[in-house]
Amino acid sequence: MPAIAETYSLGLPVEVSKIDQELKKLWQESQGTATRATLVNLAVYSEEAGSLSKNTQLMANITENHACRAIVIEADCSAKENRVEAWISAHCHVTGVGSKQVCSEQISFLLKGGCADLLPSIVFSHLDSDLPFYVWWQQEFRGPMDPQLWTWVDRVMYDSQGWEDFREQMRLLESAEQEANQRIVLCDLNWTRLDNVRFALAQFFDHPASYHHFAKINSLRIDFAPGFRSTAVLFAGWLAAQLNWRSEKTNVPNKISFVSPSGGKIDVELHEQPGEPIGEVAMATPEVEFLVAHAKCGDLLEVSRGKPGEERMPQLMPAGKNDPVSLMSEELMRGGPHHVYLHAVDRVRDLL
Amino acid sequence: MNRAADQPEPNPLREGLSARAVPQPCTIVIFGATGDLTHRKLVPALYNLAADGDLPPAVVIVGFARRPKTDDEFRSDLDQAARKFSRQTVRDEIWKNFAQSIFYHQSEFGDESGYEALAKRLDEIDKNHGTRGNRLFYFAAAPDQFEPILKHLKDAGLNQTCKGSWARIIVEKPFGTDLDSARELNRVIRNSFSEEQTYRIDHFLGKETAQNILVLRFANAIFAPLWNTHYIDQVQITAAETLGVGTRAGYYEDAGALRDMVQNHLLQLLCLVAMEPPTDLSADSIRDEKVKVVRSLRHWSGNEIAANVVRAQYTKGAINGEPVVGYRQEKNVNPDSQTETFVALRLFIDTWRWAEVPIYMRVGKRLPKSATEISIHFKKAPAVLFNKDLRALNVLVIRIQPDEGISLTIHAKVPGTSFRIEPVKMDFHYGTSFGKASPEAYERLLLDAMSGDATLFARRDEVEEAWAFVDPIEEAWHAKKDAPELYFYPAGSWGPEAADDLLARDGRAWRRL
Repeated sequence: MPAIAETYSLGLPVEVSKIDQELKKLWQESQGTATRATLVNLAVYSEEAGSLSKNTQLMANITENHACRAIVIEADCSAKENRVEAWISAHCHVTGVGSKQVCSEQISFLLKGGCADLLPSIVFSHLDSDLPFYVWWQQEFRGPMDPQLWTWVDRVMYDSQGWEDFREQMRLLESAEQEANQRIVLCDLNWTRLDNVRFALAQFFDHPASYHHFAKINSLRIDFAPGFRSTAVLFAGWLAAQLNWRSEKTNVPNKISFVSPSGGKIDVELHEQPGEPIGEVAMATPEVEFLVAHAKCGDLLEVSRGKPGEERMPQLMPAGKNDPVSLMSEELMRGGPHHVYLHAVDRVRDLL
Repeated sequence: MNRAADQPEPNPLREGLSARAVPQPCTIVIFGATGDLTHRKLVPALYNLAADGDLPPAVVIVGFARRPKTDDEFRSDLDQAARKFSRQTVRDEIWKNFAQSIFYHQSEFGDESGYEALAKRLDEIDKNHGTRGNRLFYFAAAPDQFEPILKHLKDAGLNQTCKGSWARIIVEKPFGTDLDSARELNRVIRNSFSEEQTYRIDHFLGKETAQNILVLRFANAIFAPLWNTHYIDQVQITAAETLGVGTRAGYYEDAGALRDMVQNHLLQLLCLVAMEPPTDLSADSIRDEKVKVVRSLRHWSGNEIAANVVRAQYTKGAINGEPVVGYRQEKNVNPDSQTETFVALRLFIDTWRWAEVPIYMRVGKRLPKSATEISIHFKKAPAVLFNKDLRALNVLVIRIQPDEGISLTIHAKVPGTSFRIEPVKMDFHYGTSFGKASPEAYERLLLDAMSGDATLFARRDEVEEAWAFVDPIEEAWHAKKDAPELYFYPAGSWGPEAADDLLARDGRAWRRL
């Protein structure tokens, strides 16, 4: 590949009107040593200064497992001048099969000035046709949601962990979803962050003989790292939605209360503790405790069940990683809607 | 693909987490636990499943074999094997945790008391490890041991479980050596385990691309109208390998390529290519359709066998520039061996869909490259306009291994002022489009067996029908009089000329791989 394939640089500056020609040239210059691959269009939008470089680096890692056309956008809406700059680059990786490089192309844009107006036209002009369109929105959403853009989006990825006003953000997203006739799938990386812990807890109940425990659950403790309270609340919301718990008002900070279908009370305690976003989850009935805790070695979970105080033999399961590349990679592996997430949100919307 | 009828209602906490059936806690008892298969395939596969979090925590492995060994010695052997053969690097902390659930049970396969002790041990494991009385018996021992193992399992009551639990067996090929022995083996199995409890493993069906054949055919509307005798000219299936007989001479001398590869792997692939759409994705719906394909194969007899089946054996030659010996010079091979290392067949499926579409199959050792591919050759477009001089056809290729993927050759105009037309290839590579490595076939199949999903396992009637097709060929080859000729081909070639003639007579040629 030519020099512009340098992984973390923005690549070759190009005129916006010549992006297609320059991309064509890029592949011609590779002279058959590289294969272009793309399964989706992935637009990454941020208004953070310097985000182009940061996101280029993320895309270099994400494309290793998810071939896509990346459209990376940094917008500076407060700039007085209206200007668009563009670059093209390729992220190449040697595949396991043979020595051929597999490359995903990236088009980067720096938008200055009236970005809200420019965004749809920039994106639409550079989509690889017939492929799904995903947007990774790294900002808080701002109303009104532009229907021209959102009706095209198949999946929108965002991280609600940093949202200041969850309810307002969800309202905006849901309005965009309605505009899109429910076609758009909401993918919250804060929810993806819970995948492994949810999986670890769920496996305790794979055998129908364990179902009787559901009715006896009376306490839940979730240890969360500073800044990840919303992650812990979502987790509680998931259990409430799947097990049909109804929320009850409580005025105690970091305590949530639910009532099970049989009328049993479930006290949820949220503990802030430095460490992993969700450090430990202990769910108990009067007879048995189900425990999922991060192992000392970092990317593994220790899962065990037993009577309180009893010695246990924990099993190890993958914990996943809490970095944007891992979360996005996990999310990109998925298909289909996120009904379970939406149900979980509904249960705890007022608590987030 | 689907949950078995006897599977429980889903766990509400699993919703949205996994699209596949959930494997149940169980004890996996491996008969022949000190053998190659356990070390190279089964334990690395189970380790990978554990490392990926796909195994339920309550899974215990019990190795059953003759050699005296302690649990720790067995674990240490398997540790080394996993480090050598696992698809992902073995992590000490995960292995340590995984190994806690591995045990060794020493017994002769024919010793009744060994099974009684096994039954007690399994009960203890259920109590201590939460395996809930679920048992998966994996037959990785030599086929001649199957009968005593099955009998003693039954005598020890291990073929049955209490309500809500299950006992299943996984049987490795060969499923017999001919129709009679396959029927006998199935009878012996049926004496102890029902068909629903029996999982006959064919690792080809665990490969990603083999599973993708159904998706390609039934999730893409563009192929359905073309998938028949009106549009398909021929189908070719090739399973080529550069390796010779290696250390398998003992088995291979008796089996040969027809029994080793065609009766099982290649006919299974053919079934996926040729079957009618199943009514649903349940194991039996899919297998019902597959068995109809084997049942519809035109059976050859007498002179037809020589005209439609070519057998051959490799002689000395070179692979990748390295000289290699001929089959008869290989270790433990009879110097006058008549065993075929190459087979080419011309088949027909006598159904409405496939009427008179020839299916050409070839399988061989010491061929120039290792590749398993299926190619669908479409008929020529009408011979007017551009097609007067076109020789190449549109070909859809399904690559099973290596470099799994699908390609389609179409015709395109060469840029320029003249109307020159050349074939070009549209190519999909799994490795290019999906960076994530596919799990090994054994990983998928072990999980399916633990989940009660028999879709990718061969059913009794499939196996027997396949033998019914293969048997007359074997009988003709072994006849004292007028046996079809055994041809020879130099190692590193694409087989004997007779295999080329098989297609040349029809005005066709093997695809160049």
